[in-house]
Amino acid sequence: MTTTAVTTPASGPVPGAAPELRVERLSIRFGQGESLNRVLEGLELSVAAGEFISIVGPSGVGKTTLLRCLSGLVQPTEGQVYVRGEAIKEPHPAVGVIFQDYSRSLLPWMTTAENIAFPLEGRFDKKERVARAEAALSSVGLAGQGRKYPWEMSGGMQQRVAIARGLAYEAKILLMDEPFASVDAQTRLNLEDLVADLQEKLGLTVVLVTHDIDEALYLSDRVVVLAGKPAAVVETLDTNFGDHRDQAATKSDPRFGEARTKILGILGH
Amino acid sequence: MGILRKSVERLWLVVVLIVLWWFASAGSTSIFYPSLDTIVSTLWTDLASGLLIGYLGFSLGNLLAGLALALILGIGLGLLIGEIRWLGEAVEPFVDFLRSIPQVAIIPLIIGTFGLDAGPKIYSIAAGCIFPILLNTIDGVRGIEPTVRRFGKVYRISGPRYFRKVVLPGALPQIMAGVRVALPIGITVMVVSELYAARMGIGFYILNSSSTFHLTETWAGAVLVGIVGYLISIIFNLIERGSLRWYFKSGATTK
Repeated sequence: MTTTAVTTPASGPVPGAAPELRVERLSIRFGQGESLNRVLEGLELSVAAGEFISIVGPSGVGKTTLLRCLSGLVQPTEGQVYVRGEAIKEPHPAVGVIFQDYSRSLLPWMTTAENIAFPLEGRFDKKERVARAEAALSSVGLAGQGRKYPWEMSGGMQQRVAIARGLAYEAKILLMDEPFASVDAQTRLNLEDLVADLQEKLGLTVVLVTHDIDEALYLSDRVVVLAGKPAAVVETLDTNFGDHRDQAATKSDPRFGEARTKILGILGH
Repeated sequence: MGILRKSVERLWLVVVLIVLWWFASAGSTSIFYPSLDTIVSTLWTDLASGLLIGYLGFSLGNLLAGLALALILGIGLGLLIGEIRWLGEAVEPFVDFLRSIPQVAIIPLIIGTFGLDAGPKIYSIAAGCIFPILLNTIDGVRGIEPTVRRFGKVYRISGPRYFRKVVLPGALPQIMAGVRVALPIGITVMVVSELYAARMGIGFYILNSSSTFHLTETWAGAVLVGIVGYLISIIFNLIERGSLRWYFKSGATTK
């Protein structure tokens, strides 16, 4: 890994530091009476600065609801989410979200550069916004593509733009909801490596929701398994395949296979 | 070549019908069905004398002002009603009540209330045009992708900036569809509003000529309104294509 930036914080949790993201006795229920839907119950979670965690679990278990709660889009029925020690009631400025349906979260009436620069309005002047958008595009491998519209790009490129938008926003915590679910397999591997690379370079804290166990194991420091109805954390698995990973080598590591077997066992396969 | 062929495809039927009309009506002695020849020469005479140009200017000025009023109110209110849930709940019964009243029927009321100047004609046109614009704006706002709204919240885009750069462009395709419906209503109300109490305008020209049995002029006025309507729809198409470039292009890419 080349280190170009002035400060290059190492990835991985810093011992003793306050958690970047903390969830306390979180419960989410929808509806009332007969139609009461208990989605999450008494969930506890703590993510250290610079840590990469994945949340896996069966479809419909409440992974996306949990992520929306972390992003401040959904208010929990009980419990509290803390971002950098602050109890949140609405989206926190340090948090960026990468949505699953990138083609809908990018605004089709703006060019990619405008899409990236748009959330910076009010914080920087125009010149600075343009410069930051261009820098963010370069960091996701799309230098010089700012004048294209999102709909002129492939799915993978659009998701790169969405990631660039989060980076330009200077999000320190990236919440990703199935970000690679709707791109082809090859693009998916490329995007995984891009995210791993950026996370390490920028010292980002990442929470990734996915139902792909290989992806979770490959990218994360820690995999959190959600299951049950209402859902709770049934297993937390530290991955120990080292910091520098490689699609072929890491995935053929025997420890990788053991971890995968263990999670599959928990999920009942 | 492409443009030429397109024009031919679009215009051949018009030309055929005009020619048919020309020959079918040639030599007509009925005062109710004058020949196209005399209609055109009457139209030309009254245009050349400046009479119709002045009338047309008055009418189109009213149309433009009424339309502008309807656009500002319709889009402005539509964005608020569509976006703010409690406001929508409170206001929508009134919208449904008001839009069920035929616009043409209330023109005498408006003129009676506001007098005989251009003002009440402009209000009548605005009252007719506002509903398709308002209702389409509300629908357009409500049809905006939930993901777009989530993006706006997470990246903390709020206030006027959110309305101007997210909600308005997101609803614009629907809004334009509403304007397309509003235009012919506006032209109709423009003409009708001048039938009641007016001393000038294209509607006055039509009414005045027909009540004095100058029916060739009545025909000429009707033809002129048709031509104006056609030209307005061409201008509208150009504006729509220009302002919704992303919409038509992205639609074309996914198909």
